[in-house]
Amino acid sequence: MPTIVGIFERPNDVVDSVNRLKGRGFTDIETYSPAPFAEIDDAVIEKPSRVRGYTLVGGLTGVVTGYAMTIWMANDWQIMVGGKPFSSIPPYTIIGFELTILFGGLLTALGLFIVGKLGRKRNPEYSPRFSAEEFGVVVKCRDRDVAEIEAVMRDNRATEVSLVS
Amino acid sequence: MTPPPPPPAESVSAMMRPAPAFKDSRVNRDLLRPMEGVSLGYFALLATTLFFMQLAGGIWIYQVYKGLGIAGYAHPVFWGAYIVTFVFWVGIAHAGTLISAILYLFRAKWRNAINRSAEAMTVFAVLTAAQFLGIHVGRMWKSYFILPYPNQRGLWVNFKSPLLWDTFAITTYATISIVFLAIGLIPDIAIARDRATGWRKLLYTVLACGWQGSSKQWKAHSRTTLHLSGLATPLVLSVHSVVSWDFAMSIVPGWHATIFGPYFVAGAIFSGFAMVLTVMIPVRRIYGLERYITDYHLDNMSRFLLLTSIIVGYAYASEYFIAWYSAVEAEQTHFWMRAFGPYWFSTWCMLTFNGILPQLLWFKKLRTNVPFLFVLSIFINIGMWFERYVIIVEGLSFEHVPAAWGVYTPSWAELGIVAGSFGFFGTFFLIFLKIFPVVAIAEIKELEIHERVHGEGAH
Repeated sequence: MPTIVGIFERPNDVVDSVNRLKGRGFTDIETYSPAPFAEIDDAVIEKPSRVRGYTLVGGLTGVVTGYAMTIWMANDWQIMVGGKPFSSIPPYTIIGFELTILFGGLLTALGLFIVGKLGRKRNPEYSPRFSAEEFGVVVKCRDRDVAEIEAVMRDNRATEVSLVS
Repeated sequence: MTPPPPPPAESVSAMMRPAPAFKDSRVNRDLLRPMEGVSLGYFALLATTLFFMQLAGGIWIYQVYKGLGIAGYAHPVFWGAYIVTFVFWVGIAHAGTLISAILYLFRAKWRNAINRSAEAMTVFAVLTAAQFLGIHVGRMWKSYFILPYPNQRGLWVNFKSPLLWDTFAITTYATISIVFLAIGLIPDIAIARDRATGWRKLLYTVLACGWQGSSKQWKAHSRTTLHLSGLATPLVLSVHSVVSWDFAMSIVPGWHATIFGPYFVAGAIFSGFAMVLTVMIPVRRIYGLERYITDYHLDNMSRFLLLTSIIVGYAYASEYFIAWYSAVEAEQTHFWMRAFGPYWFSTWCMLTFNGILPQLLWFKKLRTNVPFLFVLSIFINIGMWFERYVIIVEGLSFEHVPAAWGVYTPSWAELGIVAGSFGFFGTFFLIFLKIFPVVAIAEIKELEIHERVHGEGAH
């Protein structure tokens, strides 16, 4: 399967070319950029990142753990103060709050690794120029589409188009 | 019948050519340069910080051998310089998260030049602070008693105690600031990986976790940064509030005040920004980062200093007002002793350095005057240490019963360990400077590319 790499200098050209390629029915598109550009990421992946689910699950786990742990421990080792109930919810809110943040934050980081597929080998199309100042658009397509994709990229001010495999 | 394979497109072979050499970006070169090579000056500085760190270590070992008696603790003051320094370093730690989380949510783009160094300072300051809890309790190896762990006695910790809240707040803060720093570093480590050789190449390849800047990764990364900022914003406001409740929950005059939460948080941000200036002004000068950390950034940081100085000054004034207005004799005596008692020097240092001197920042000329800012930031650091000294030590010295009053003086051992904490912080920062980019490269690049496309001042 041919893999075409187009090199761009401006993020808006990347967005235009991704949109046009998608409009022509090419779906196996990946872009590489030296810095975060929301417009590019949204053009390639339309849905919001799944990382948000991880934060939610982490935060909820944290708040439940915080209250459950404190209430259970207060009743397991009972300290009687003036006949009041053993567990005292207002101060336990602080523990619940801190654990919400702690678990939420840790799971968000885990979400980045899973959703962003970190911890794997880099794709063969990756080049150090994408960590300089250039952008890459990589399309995998059928042999007969190569010329069409090249035309679209060049039309959107690609500085270079090459076939890597 | 199988269809014949499609003929290769004509342009395919023509396009199969080696990629030409590309131009690396100036931002990469400028911001990776501080990591290269070590000068004599760097070694001298590292040797100094290491010396202080070793000094503190030596004194600490002696303290373990002799017992807490060598610290200046004497009735009625049993929270002394160690707790003061603990609160001081936790305060320093606040600027990093404020800059990276709150200013991120407010889309204040000027944070990009300083957020990395401030985040690193946050991590090192929390680590420095945490040690003081162990040093203060004497038997550091029993510090884990504060954690809720199953034990033979069937005993659990008491979650109604502010000290427990503090344990959870500090642990969470340390963890989240390390995560924040690490996540922000990944794209920059990848930049370094693509340009490094030798052992650095190996190190960065492992630490970059296969980062390639694909849209999938950036999308997840932006979302992660957003969520971590959203989580860290209430965290940064809560941590120093919780620290302040260690005091405010008691009935000690001078401690028992509802204003303590916001008062401590403002003070923390104030001292944190001062420390960022103290550290970044020399770094900016030595490594020629003036193009990235401009007068505009210094001006903005100065405005923050001014704002938080006014809040802190207001808190000082309202403490005095409430003490007078309350007609509670213990409160009134406490605040009289603050200004004119045996600790008058600390109190006037605190009022002058934190409340009065920063008012000079109303002048724009001074806000961008680098030597002035550097000197002022050091004064603020000293003033903020004295603020905690005044609050903590003074409160315990003059409680409700005059017969139980007493004056505390820090011992040589305490002062040595306090000085050593700066060495510890400095050592870690200096090592960080040589291993990781001290300015967030990808974020600076985002601005530069944006400007290139849309023209100057477009953001």
